[in-house]
Amino acid sequence: MSVSKPHPHDSAPLHVTGAARYIDDIPLPANTLHLAFGLAEIAHGRISALDLGAVRSAPGVVMVLEAKDLPGDCDCSPSNHDEPLLSGAHVQYLGQPVFLVVATSHLAARKAARLAKVDYQPRDAILTIEEALAADSRFEDGPRIWERGEAGEAIDTAPHRLEGRIEMGGQEHFYLEGHAAIALPQDGGDMVVHSSTQHPTEVQHKVAHALHLPMSAVRVETRRMGGGFGGKESQGNALAISCAVVARMTGKPVKMRYDRDDDFMITGKRHDFRIDYTVGYDDDGRILGLEFQHFTRCGWAQDLSLPVADRAMLHADNAYWLPHIRIESHRLRTNTQSATAYRGFGGPQGMLGIERVLDHVAHAVGRDPLQVRTANYYAPASDAAPAVQTTPYGQPVQDFILHDLTAKLAAQCNYAERRKAVAEWNAANPLIKRGLALTPVKFGISFTLTHLNQAGALVHVYQDGSVRVNHGGTEMGQGLFQKVAQVAAARFGLPLEAIQITATDTAKVPNTSATAASSGSDLNGMAVKAACDTIRDRIAGFLADQAQCAIAEVQFADGMVSVAGQSMPFAEAAKRAYEGRVSLSSTGFYKTPHVAWDRIAGQGRPFLYFAYGAACSEVVIDTLTGENRILRTDILHDAGASLNPALDIGQVEGGFVQGAGWLTTEELVWDRAGRLRTHAPSTYKIPACSDRPPVFNVSLWDAPNREDTIYRSKAVGEPPFMHGISVLMALSDAIAACGGLYPALNAPATPERILTTLDQVRHV
Amino acid sequence: MYAFDIERPTTVAEAVAALKDEDAQALSGGQTLIPTLKQRLASPSKLVSLSGIAETKGVSADGGTVTVGGGTTHAAVAAGASAYPALAALAGGIGDPAVRNRGTIGGSVANNDPAACYPAAVLGSGATVVTNAREIAADDYFQGMFTTALDEGEIITAVKFPVPEKAAYIKFEQPASRFALVGVFVAKYADGVRVAVTGASEEGVFRWTEAEAALSGNFSAGALDGLSVSADGMISDLHGTGAYRAHLVAVLTKRAVAAAG
Repeated sequence: MSVSKPHPHDSAPLHVTGAARYIDDIPLPANTLHLAFGLAEIAHGRISALDLGAVRSAPGVVMVLEAKDLPGDCDCSPSNHDEPLLSGAHVQYLGQPVFLVVATSHLAARKAARLAKVDYQPRDAILTIEEALAADSRFEDGPRIWERGEAGEAIDTAPHRLEGRIEMGGQEHFYLEGHAAIALPQDGGDMVVHSSTQHPTEVQHKVAHALHLPMSAVRVETRRMGGGFGGKESQGNALAISCAVVARMTGKPVKMRYDRDDDFMITGKRHDFRIDYTVGYDDDGRILGLEFQHFTRCGWAQDLSLPVADRAMLHADNAYWLPHIRIESHRLRTNTQSATAYRGFGGPQGMLGIERVLDHVAHAVGRDPLQVRTANYYAPASDAAPAVQTTPYGQPVQDFILHDLTAKLAAQCNYAERRKAVAEWNAANPLIKRGLALTPVKFGISFTLTHLNQAGALVHVYQDGSVRVNHGGTEMGQGLFQKVAQVAAARFGLPLEAIQITATDTAKVPNTSATAASSGSDLNGMAVKAACDTIRDRIAGFLADQAQCAIAEVQFADGMVSVAGQSMPFAEAAKRAYEGRVSLSSTGFYKTPHVAWDRIAGQGRPFLYFAYGAACSEVVIDTLTGENRILRTDILHDAGASLNPALDIGQVEGGFVQGAGWLTTEELVWDRAGRLRTHAPSTYKIPACSDRPPVFNVSLWDAPNREDTIYRSKAVGEPPFMHGISVLMALSDAIAACGGLYPALNAPATPERILTTLDQVRHV
Repeated sequence: MYAFDIERPTTVAEAVAALKDEDAQALSGGQTLIPTLKQRLASPSKLVSLSGIAETKGVSADGGTVTVGGGTTHAAVAAGASAYPALAALAGGIGDPAVRNRGTIGGSVANNDPAACYPAAVLGSGATVVTNAREIAADDYFQGMFTTALDEGEIITAVKFPVPEKAAYIKFEQPASRFALVGVFVAKYADGVRVAVTGASEEGVFRWTEAEAALSGNFSAGALDGLSVSADGMISDLHGTGAYRAHLVAVLTKRAVAAAG
């Protein structure tokens, strides 16, 4: 069987030799035009005069478009129809596209875009959480509130209570491939678009809207992206729409790609959050009542902020049974880039909130944080049915494996001994302090917008026995295509090489969901399985008829088809079926069962299941400067019965490093004018390969999903990101060795922020 | 980038002559100037490339002095200044390999970026900046951020470093750019200790005289206990506050003393 094997990424040789084609590598037709945006220089206000004369007369410029020149608003929003392609007179953030330059080359377009003369009437910009709260600038009519039990009363009657706050920064996606799109005009006004998008169907939808075409007249193709991380879920719309609109106007092919600085300035990032908490707890650190207030900067447009903030609320429990809880979520509108999807989709922010609470409570009761964490865990899955606990939003936690998983990781990484060793080190070393933390992850798998939990596939078997697979998922380096190919190979009993992987194409599979929410393999694997099984059953039925045997006597394995004991190559079976006029093409469809969710009430079963894991990180800090390093990280992660352990471990490693980067070195800085000052790798530091822990042990918790997912595997894209939380907690633990106060360390924990927290802890 | 002409003289004399043109700009390794031109922050009509002048390249050691030609790359200093290990180590830690293979000591010292490494070595060593016209003591040379004693058209042909008994350079890197958030160069000579700080001050590289006095009597990190620099006049930017930089100056100076041994 081709599943469960550690096959390398199908494009790995192409990636490392540079032969893998991205949008920017596609050879262009003659006379292709190139685009660049001119960007707003103020965060909020009106454009009183826009002089584009110098832009129009610049070398190579074909035309320049303002909002009024477009065929409508050309809305780019994935949600609320509040993102006109170009600003018009009303500027809502610094970096907002104001006009569009069409030129004969990429460079000519970019050069010309700088020549505009713009007069602004600035208005007060709302940049911070505090400013947005003061102005009541928000999405939705007020805060979203979900509660269970009587949190206030439980806190008041608890033996102890404490309050705190954690602030956590946003995060630039920093996909290595920047955004890009190409539009190719077709007969009769139809449009073909190549887009570096995680969501080809949405690009199709938005392009069709902009061109006033039915979706059937627009085809979007995506072979691969060089990283997406959520940043290409909605943010590619603007480029694709721009290209399509100009292609329509000129009849010529049109290409657009963002320069890296423009990508930083224009596109949305992870939502930064402030989380305030009040918790009541007992002598053992067991949480009796908890109140959270989430505040997040959503930026100028709604984009995906509501479901992101929802998911933060949905992970406010992480792995813990919280009988009395109230979560209040403020989605604040600010004059900044419109924050968007990013690996975890709000889940990491919500989870960091509760992990901070557990850490703070453990410090207050003077116990090992791991002991306090496990004491608050949900009941084990093996408990009798009536004892099944539910999440704050009412979903039964039926698959809780973290007791065993945590114990196994703690044993594997010698947690108890190392806890002692860290204490001994810290007692002996006044300047260099170590810290250790083991944190769990429980992450809900499914789109919370229930109707997105569907997928389609199209599979062809050719008369020579070769197989071509297509589905709605997109490849962004994560290995989805290989996993799905493994499924197809397994269904036909073929070697993996027999399966042809193809570009995602809205003309082959319609109405797809974004490759997001970790759902790519779960959804598309099942849809491809269904399509393969349809074809396989047709072949089996035909051969059984011919051999006058039962269908069950037709077996597909090892590249052969055996019929009542007679064996033939799969190609021979395909040829016979073709000549017997059997259809060898099929669609497949899957919809996730059991999910139902009322987001206003905050009740239901939004997730089919939970993915689990735990990470233990040891760090060292220099108490004189705040410099720090990760010394060692051990991760045990639940990928169910893994479809591909090599790819899954790759996702776990990459997710952890990206999560640690979010909480340590990656700092976004806006100045008081609302200008993002960190807009290039010279100012914004993502982890490099050399920043991974020198000791880095990642293994998979190999046990089948209790839900009937594709080969009982579990989604693995987002959950490991949150293992990075162990690093922040370990840094906090190291600081705690320096004084009596709780180190309320904010993120990202830069050296200066660590030193500031150290000073607070020391000056008791 | 705006259009410009370029000349490639092969002697210092030719370069000096070429720079007499109004609006001509000397180009050495280009690690600062080329990005500046790309951002259109400068628009010289003519660049005079110094990279073809053989007489300004190379490292030599003689009688307690290491002389580095003004056109010598950081990589060449890292490999060739073994007579002054702290200087070689500083050069080997500048930027990344691409910067080290193009950037030159003359270009760095002439530019006097407040976060550059070389000014700390030059000032911390009490080096002499040699130009086509004269010799300038380091203490007279650095005159504030991006400001030096150089006249228009004057070219750094060499820097002469007296080799100290002990020395070390320690920098705290801004992790994204690897520029010095703060860098401290400490050098112990027979007649006293010099401490030069880069990255921290709005006035550019400076000598921390209180530390020098303390260390001249007792060259040990402990001699610096209780000493601190004021946060007034320190750079505050997106990478760190002035207070943090001032704090780092004291910590890094101790480290440099310890590293010098």
